[in-house]
Amino acid sequence: MPDWIFVIIRSITLIAILFFMVKWLGAKQLSQLNIFETITGVVLGGIVALHTVDLSSNFLYALIAMAIWFIVPFSVELISLKSKTFRDFTQGKSTVFIQDGKIMEDNLKKRGYTTDDLLEKLREKDIFLASDVEFALLEPTGSISVLQKRDKMPLTAKDLGIKLAPKKEPQTVIMDGKVILEPLANLSLNLNWLETELAKLNVSIENVFLGQADSDAQLTVDLYDDKIAVPEPTEKPLLLATMKKCQADLELFSLATENEESKQLYERNSKKLQAAIDLIFPSIQ
Amino acid sequence: MTVGSQVKGCFASVKSIEASLQLFVNKSQDEETKETFLQVQQLIKEVKDDLQKQVIQLSKEEPQYK
Repeated sequence: MPDWIFVIIRSITLIAILFFMVKWLGAKQLSQLNIFETITGVVLGGIVALHTVDLSSNFLYALIAMAIWFIVPFSVELISLKSKTFRDFTQGKSTVFIQDGKIMEDNLKKRGYTTDDLLEKLREKDIFLASDVEFALLEPTGSISVLQKRDKMPLTAKDLGIKLAPKKEPQTVIMDGKVILEPLANLSLNLNWLETELAKLNVSIENVFLGQADSDAQLTVDLYDDKIAVPEPTEKPLLLATMKKCQADLELFSLATENEESKQLYERNSKKLQAAIDLIFPSIQ
Repeated sequence: MTVGSQVKGCFASVKSIEASLQLFVNKSQDEETKETFLQVQQLIKEVKDDLQKQVIQLSKEEPQYK
């Protein structure tokens, strides 16, 4: 048999083996690999490359070498899952670089980081002033995690004391003009509902490129034909507007009437409606 | 428009609000949101009951516009 056939056979076998090994070793992003995993990857690749083209080598040796380079990292990973001490040993520990706003010079030196390196890492996190940092940590993977000082953190609804309605993930119910049933069932909705909503929007399902429904079963669609304007969902704004209108009406009645009893009734109910509006506002805005 | 018919109109709007809320209660997947809608619905129901009494009373007061 000519040599090139061997090359093909070897390549395909090794590709298959390598594929499954990488799969079992776990999917991590390249930048998240620790040193040991990086070396494993390089060596496995090297073995494969070498034995694919070098026909004088014994193919069995390739398999043995790969098996060892697979079993050892695999068992290391298994043991690391169980033991914290072992994990610290193989994966390394994180190092505190900045604590209570003060840079730990000794720790920097220990990990071989210059001041420029630290500043560069901070700049990557959009921090240009080291004194803005409350706490910074060098992770074993080499990335830096930063906790900024309280007054430099973005404002959240919690800081402002605003109550927000919880929001669940939206589900994609139509893709490329076809209904996807599973997400629809996740929202406990059915095809009838979808058809009704589409009829409300006055579009046919074939024309829908993407349709998503949120946890309140509000459908938003994107159409193939971008010239057609899709109406915004109006249910919630309409409800809020009606509530506001009724509240205003009741207030008006209470001002207009001269009957003391009716006046009190209108006033009381106007206040109730106002309370209702305040309560529902976060959920439907 | 007489006061009676104005109040009647408002009463109808309140009923419509109640119905919309019921719709939202049924559609909502999130327990907390559902709870909020139920609370609001209770408030609206109280308002509706009060208004209903008022509508009846007004129709008695102004029988000529009935």
